[in-house]
Amino acid sequence: MKHILVIDDAATVRLYHRNILEGAGYQVDEAINGIEALEKVLVQPYDLFIVDVNMPKLDGYGFLREFRSQKDVLQSPAIMVSTESGTNDRTLGYVAGANLYLTKPVKPNELLSYVRLLIGDLA
Amino acid sequence: MAIEYKKNLAVFSDFVGVEEAEALLEWFLKNPKGKINLSDCVHIHASSLQVLMAIKPIISVESKDEDLKLWLNTVLE
Amino acid sequence: MNNLLEQFLSEGRDFLQGIAEKLMQLENNPNSTPLMTELFRFVHTLKGNSGLFDFPEMTRVLHASEDLMDAVRNGRVNYSQELADQLLEAMDFVGILMDEIEVTEKIGTKHAIPAAELAKALRALLGNPESETAVIEDISPKNNAVISWADLPSLKLPESIAEKLYRYAIDGDAVFWLEYKPESDSFFKGEDPFFLMRQVRDTLWRKVVFNNVAQTLEEMDAYSCQLAFQLLTIAPEEELDDLLRYVPDETKRIEIPALAFVKPQGNEDDHPIDVEFINNALILLDVGDFDALTHAINTMLELSASELWSSSALRWVLRLIESEPDNKIAQQALLESLQTLIAPDWSEIAQTIPSTNTTTNSSTSVNSQVPDDSLLLGFHEVMNTQREILSLSPHLSGAWSEGRLKAVAATLLGCYRAVNHDYESETDAALQLALAENSPAPLLALLESSLADISKLSETPKLEQAELVAESAVQDANFGRRAEDVTAVAGRRSEDATAVTPNKTLKVDQEKVDRLMNLIGEMVVAKNALPYLANRAETVFGVRELAREIKSQYAVINRVAEEMQDTIMQVRMMPVSFIFQRFPRMVRDISRKLGKEVELVLEGESTEADKNIVEALSDPLIHIVRNSLDHGLESPEIRRTAGKNAMGKLLIRASQESDRVLIEIIDDGKGIDPDVIKNKAYEKGLIDEATLERISDQDAVNLVFAAGFSTADVISDLSGRGVGMDVVRSAVEKVNGTVGIESVVGKGTRLYLSLPLSMAVTNVIIIESDGQIFGVPMDLVVETVRVKRSQIRTIKQKQTTVLRGRIVPLLSLNDLLARNVEPLTNEDDEFATLIVRVHGEHVGILVDNFRETVDIILKPMTGILGGMSGYSGAALLGDGSVLIVLNPRELI
Repeated sequence: MKHILVIDDAATVRLYHRNILEGAGYQVDEAINGIEALEKVLVQPYDLFIVDVNMPKLDGYGFLREFRSQKDVLQSPAIMVSTESGTNDRTLGYVAGANLYLTKPVKPNELLSYVRLLIGDLA
Repeated sequence: MAIEYKKNLAVFSDFVGVEEAEALLEWFLKNPKGKINLSDCVHIHASSLQVLMAIKPIISVESKDEDLKLWLNTVLE
Repeated sequence: MNNLLEQFLSEGRDFLQGIAEKLMQLENNPNSTPLMTELFRFVHTLKGNSGLFDFPEMTRVLHASEDLMDAVRNGRVNYSQELADQLLEAMDFVGILMDEIEVTEKIGTKHAIPAAELAKALRALLGNPESETAVIEDISPKNNAVISWADLPSLKLPESIAEKLYRYAIDGDAVFWLEYKPESDSFFKGEDPFFLMRQVRDTLWRKVVFNNVAQTLEEMDAYSCQLAFQLLTIAPEEELDDLLRYVPDETKRIEIPALAFVKPQGNEDDHPIDVEFINNALILLDVGDFDALTHAINTMLELSASELWSSSALRWVLRLIESEPDNKIAQQALLESLQTLIAPDWSEIAQTIPSTNTTTNSSTSVNSQVPDDSLLLGFHEVMNTQREILSLSPHLSGAWSEGRLKAVAATLLGCYRAVNHDYESETDAALQLALAENSPAPLLALLESSLADISKLSETPKLEQAELVAESAVQDANFGRRAEDVTAVAGRRSEDATAVTPNKTLKVDQEKVDRLMNLIGEMVVAKNALPYLANRAETVFGVRELAREIKSQYAVINRVAEEMQDTIMQVRMMPVSFIFQRFPRMVRDISRKLGKEVELVLEGESTEADKNIVEALSDPLIHIVRNSLDHGLESPEIRRTAGKNAMGKLLIRASQESDRVLIEIIDDGKGIDPDVIKNKAYEKGLIDEATLERISDQDAVNLVFAAGFSTADVISDLSGRGVGMDVVRSAVEKVNGTVGIESVVGKGTRLYLSLPLSMAVTNVIIIESDGQIFGVPMDLVVETVRVKRSQIRTIKQKQTTVLRGRIVPLLSLNDLLARNVEPLTNEDDEFATLIVRVHGEHVGILVDNFRETVDIILKPMTGILGGMSGYSGAALLGDGSVLIVLNPRELI
């Protein structure tokens, strides 16, 4: 079963993503900020990351920058999800190491179709 | 009389008032295939209108009153 | 209440609490950056959470608060007591909304105006009310007039009238819906409701409803008013008020917004407009090229029958462009509705449109733009994003960390897999090179070359109806020396697949392919004249030598003709993805409309079949899918209670089985209860009581295909329309397909369609009856037998015979064709009997005599004859005569 880490400080958003992803048969873990996410990724490989931008302690950019510079971990694709839709925010995300940037709220089927693509699920 | 009953035809004229409805219904019960001529009719009281809606008779001649014709067209088609 | 909403409320209240605390702390410490940042984050997160739900009032207030806090955080606005008060007031309002949501799960419309006012007040503190975002949010209460769409009557108006009303409404003439339901004793009060309604001026549409309570005419009471009047008028409001002042309780008056009239209507039984047209139109709309859009739509309208639903929708798009050029959301919604043939839900859309008359800021239209989630589009989007990432300029991007390169490679690999392409070794090689060089270039090169390959392979479905791809290999179709040519062609193919040079494909106008096929068809028929000619040469002219030569020439021509036929069939093949591609969108829209969560899985999209077959599949499939969504899959709550995953699964799979295509539509919904079906069928008189008792569950489920059967008690606007699965069955049978269903109650339903790969050549047996010849398709014929008159028994006035231990009903073709003539027998008093398989049962058809079987090009009947269901078409025979081909399924 593919394992996805959802990183968001809002419990509602985490649950929203969990409902969608678990409904599609994925295993979901949660982290409430970049620090907690880093702790998780260092002990356990994930197939995909869904990363919020604005979080306390360590935000989404910071997490991705730190994570992408780690050696010997599974460098899986990351989807950055943010309320900001500006080009600048987008580019910052890509530079930090995101592979896709979506604007909140992401509709369930939209999220799933991207997750399938990035994970390489043959539907 | 605003409605003149012929053998198989009811001819409406002018203003068909509230008092006509009962007789109209009875006439239709006796002449289920009765037709109506509305040529010179300008208005039909709502009571007779609902009798017409229940029977849905064939209109042999439509009313010359355009507005009445529009209403009846939506009702009796 | 679902768990998500619960979570939202509990977390939301924590945030409100947190926001209040931070505001208090800020009062003592107004310059604390950490406090500001945290405060901003609370508001920001809360706004993000509310955006997951449909709570526009709450989101609006929170959005304004967030913008204000952002300005404070960045020092653009100074923190002040007044600001804190305003924010606290806003949060109190949000708290009230949360309380209401907790009870009713929604927000009452009465909050719309206070929400707008609060947002305005918050933005006023920004000191820059003209800012871009402020314009979107700043909705004056008047424009945001609380129209409750749920209260609007559902109007069914002819398009011409709807158009007229729409124009009035757009031009600022209020259009009123007036409903008048007089009390039943109103006649006794001396009223004439009909007269009153006729006094209303400028009535543009009217209707009278008579709700007769009496069972029979005899019981009818002419003086008890059972009427209700409905009309649409543009008469002035005061005049209406004055007119109706004595009957205020019996009348209802609603002002109808212009968009409510925008309701496409017409026949739906056509293929939806192709996706490419819609996508192009959406792009033109997005860039605001109205001239091109108008032109494209006009062209499409000229090509389409005007009474179609889609034509009506297109005409509405034109009207919207003309009258409300800025209302892009509405235009877009209409264009998108062309895919589903479901009218846009304006009540939903109206919430995103500030007002039908005010200008919509372009950024809102971008936000509301729904990305198409069909796999291929998503694929290209993700690929383009990776290209963008790999092409980031070095000074922006900085040094490429290994992690980022690996992540991009992982993303590419995922995408390739998802669209079923194997690029594993290539991706790995490119990644190793990229890591070694610490450069994105190798990955970028892989991306470009793979995109070129994949787009080539996936081009066929994108070409749509207009074009077919003819492989150049067709040109050297293997006439003559078969073996060598086949290997040669195969060799070329494999070269094509690996070589860097572009694949030799040729785009050919579909018309030309069709014409070529017709010509080949004629050729096949013409060559059939040669045996006749040989025969005549021998018998009439007595030149046996010549006859033999003609025959040997015929053998050559025959072989070439057959191969030409095979080849043209290959060219006409197209993948079923052509029709599959519209399902993701359709399923999403419909399931959303029904409040269901559905995961659609498509398999075997590359399976190919003849173009006509693929096209004929379209309507039945849409119908089946709608049925599954409507009746098969349950709502998330019911599914959860049943212990199922909240998200239902709908699988559409195509596969090839020998010379047939198998399409399966499998859902994990509630299944079909055979008992319900049995009883329904019995109620409708489709089966008798004896059948009801002994019918097997599977046979009962099959009854859904019976004509006149429809389980839906209420006709829904989705699958209902009074059309049942019998329509699906007959549409499939029309192209010689079969349809079947299996279902397990509570587990789901599997529907399958089996269709021939190609429909162009039909093998028929020629039979004689009453001095005429007819063709019967061989795929229906089980066997031909001769039945002695003495072997025919009459059971329940029906003729039957026993054949291999099984009772076979016998029907005379003459009777079926309404010819009052006994079938002829041969010298031994035997009837020539054709045993055919119809709906799974064997039936014997008595004819006068059998003749040979022939391959024919079956042309469907057209014109007046097209409506005759007993015939599947006609074909030319070698001697130039016409053979009528019967359709036993319909005939019996």
